[in-house]
Amino acid sequence: MKKKVLAFLLVVLMITAVLAGCSGPKNQSTPQEGVGGEKSGGILNDYFESDPNGFDVQESTLIVSYHLARHIYSTLLRYKGDTLELEPELLAKMPEISPDGKTYTFELKKGIKFHDGTTELVADDVKFTIERMLDPKGKGMSKWLFEPILGAKAFMEGKASSLEGFKKIDDYKFQIILEKPYAPFLHNLAVPAASIYSEKLVKAAGDNWSLNPVGTGPFKLKSYVPNTEIVLEKNPYYFEEGLPRLEGIHYRIVPDATTALMEFENGTLDVCLIPVNEYQRIKDSGKYEILEGVALNTYYFIMNLSDPMWSDVRLRKAVAMAMDKEKLVEALYGPRGSVAKSFVTPGIPGAYEQGTGPAYEYNPEEAKKLVKELGNVGKLQAWQWGGERISDANVAIQAMLKDVGLDLEITIMESAAFRQARSEGKIPASYGNWWADIPDPDNYLYTFFARTNQMSSGYKNKEIQDLLEQARYEVDMEKREELYRKIEDTIIQEDVAIVPLFHLKSLLATQKNVKDIILHPTGVNIYTYAYKE
Amino acid sequence: MAGYIVRRLIMALPVLVGVSLITFILLNVVPGDPVLEMMGKHVDPLTLEKVREQLGLNDPLYVQFGRFLFNALRGDLGKSFKTGQPVTKMIMDTFPTTVKLALSSAFVAIIIGITVGIISAVKQYSFFDHAAMITALAGISAPIFWVAVVAQLVFGLQLKWLPISGYSSPKHMILPAVVLGIRFAASIARYTRSAFLEVIRQDYIRTARAKGLAERAVIFGHALKNAMIPVVTIIGMQISGLLTGSLLTETIFAIPGLGRLSIWALSNRDFPLVQGIVLFTAAVFVIGNLIVDISYAFLDPRVRLQ
Repeated sequence: MKKKVLAFLLVVLMITAVLAGCSGPKNQSTPQEGVGGEKSGGILNDYFESDPNGFDVQESTLIVSYHLARHIYSTLLRYKGDTLELEPELLAKMPEISPDGKTYTFELKKGIKFHDGTTELVADDVKFTIERMLDPKGKGMSKWLFEPILGAKAFMEGKASSLEGFKKIDDYKFQIILEKPYAPFLHNLAVPAASIYSEKLVKAAGDNWSLNPVGTGPFKLKSYVPNTEIVLEKNPYYFEEGLPRLEGIHYRIVPDATTALMEFENGTLDVCLIPVNEYQRIKDSGKYEILEGVALNTYYFIMNLSDPMWSDVRLRKAVAMAMDKEKLVEALYGPRGSVAKSFVTPGIPGAYEQGTGPAYEYNPEEAKKLVKELGNVGKLQAWQWGGERISDANVAIQAMLKDVGLDLEITIMESAAFRQARSEGKIPASYGNWWADIPDPDNYLYTFFARTNQMSSGYKNKEIQDLLEQARYEVDMEKREELYRKIEDTIIQEDVAIVPLFHLKSLLATQKNVKDIILHPTGVNIYTYAYKE
Repeated sequence: MAGYIVRRLIMALPVLVGVSLITFILLNVVPGDPVLEMMGKHVDPLTLEKVREQLGLNDPLYVQFGRFLFNALRGDLGKSFKTGQPVTKMIMDTFPTTVKLALSSAFVAIIIGITVGIISAVKQYSFFDHAAMITALAGISAPIFWVAVVAQLVFGLQLKWLPISGYSSPKHMILPAVVLGIRFAASIARYTRSAFLEVIRQDYIRTARAKGLAERAVIFGHALKNAMIPVVTIIGMQISGLLTGSLLTETIFAIPGLGRLSIWALSNRDFPLVQGIVLFTAAVFVIGNLIVDISYAFLDPRVRLQ
């Protein structure tokens, strides 16, 4: 009997030893100093909540895919540091724009190599990339980026075999001609979905391209285990000397936010998005760096003007004045949020400055008067995008409306059903948020209030919708700004089609030895200049 | 025996077709457009229509279902709308992980559950019995995410004995297997106890004791095998359930299993993937039940497979 017990203990001991051997520190490397005295080195341990399911950024609009694309591929233009100022990335200099605002002349940097170390980037690759996105047989999800190009429509409909608006001058120079002048066009080229692919390498990879991406970006894909991890390593052929500074990035897929926070506090993750209710504790611990950055977003309450329930402007005005935004943002997001006075996020060229804007101030007395004037409006309806219970934000909105005598009922719609109803213009009202694709008022106002009605606003104001079309194509920046002011003022003050509530900052906690991560306002964090001490 | 298995498998076919049909109808009835989910927020109506045509979603529903069935019979479950990968490959990529988690948690559960169940029955109304049954009740009632988070906090973050999440080594499987196994152990313990109590009051047990057999021989030689029949049924059902994925455990511990894949497929309205997973899940249950039925014959010679 004793022998049996002894043998059992021995087995347990052996198993424990084997298991213990499986763990231990990994992903560590010593930081080094570069030629210019700049520090570099380290492998960054990061995570995503969901798997990107491949690396073809033309087939995804997920922020995860954008972040990966920013590091695996390059775009013609990019944003300088954490600003909204464009600078050349694959280009040798900023493009020249013709006086009529329709012809853009580009020149690529010479000698840019893809990750294979032999394929060089040429103008044909740019043409191939654009045509691949617009291909009617393809799965390009961001066709809107290149739609302003002359002949894009015919190409997308399969009526043309080549894109009329792309003119190759030589291997490094080319022109893009637009159908109409479109002021934000250069911003479109800086969106990660506009990353430039190699014609030769994409064709060689065929259907495997999405899982075997080869770009010109600072990192290249080393390994990918679906739903488990993505490992990037430094691209030795990267065209900017001394970059990237990290040796690599190790992303894990951690779907649960609480688990990710525990991994971060355990030191197994280097960065972490902090849940709002944990912000103060993490900050007060003093153990971590907290990075804060401006982010291009607006949280709002939108009402469908084509829905008879919401058609009376006095009702919408009462809703706008019933919202105590200060209390709302404080309760929901604490120091991460700031009250919104406009729909277009401050910081965007042409937008109102922070703290100014056309939105109605909190005025419950006036709201009550309007409700009284309206008489019995019955039960109002709004939908919620997914979730198992009514969100805290919606509960707060319900309570604020109740205070002025309005009864709002919230229906939870599963996300896919919500999206379908939204595309059909069938959502009566909803609390939501918009994270801009590009820093331009058009990306907010046209998306929500143009005749396409893609966000279920039900907006029908001919004059404003004509102005939205006019502003898109206006090249005089001052005139454009004036047009957008008029549009936004009318939509928010006169028509009360949307109630801007608040904007959120980006917040990221990092371990103390992680340096120089850039939180960009577009929501895509940049690790090209980051390193670990 | 072989004839019995073949007959049971043939009988399973209508079940699988029925399950597929119900899933197909439900997917087409609930709101949510798969192409809209696939193409994102900026998609134009022209592209939407083209993609819908390419995927065969404009065909009449009976044609779509017929195509699915015809291909499924040839072992082809189609390609995922979202990733373009074969559905069979996506299921088979995640299934081994789910099997590992299911079997390791079943192992934990069976060892703890049966042992506690037997001791409780043998020492009925003792302190151990009361304590074990209260613990079992708590184990069944405690929400799994709560148990998981507490386990992560204590054994991962505070004691640093085990990894908090992930899937890269056997050590990573210990916490999820135990968390999932505890709940499963609790119900096995309760079933084992009641089955055992019933058996040890039988005449043949009294006879065994009367003829002077040692208590150990009475319990393990006579009572255990007979008490196991209802317990095996429960274990079989629960393992089948575990093999179809444990969403919460997989999410909290970041394990890439079938549970997470199912939810992902459903929220993306990835019709072929949802259909494939449901069909696969149904097949797992059918086979699981068959194995349980076959095991009866080994446990109880009176049972004949016909």
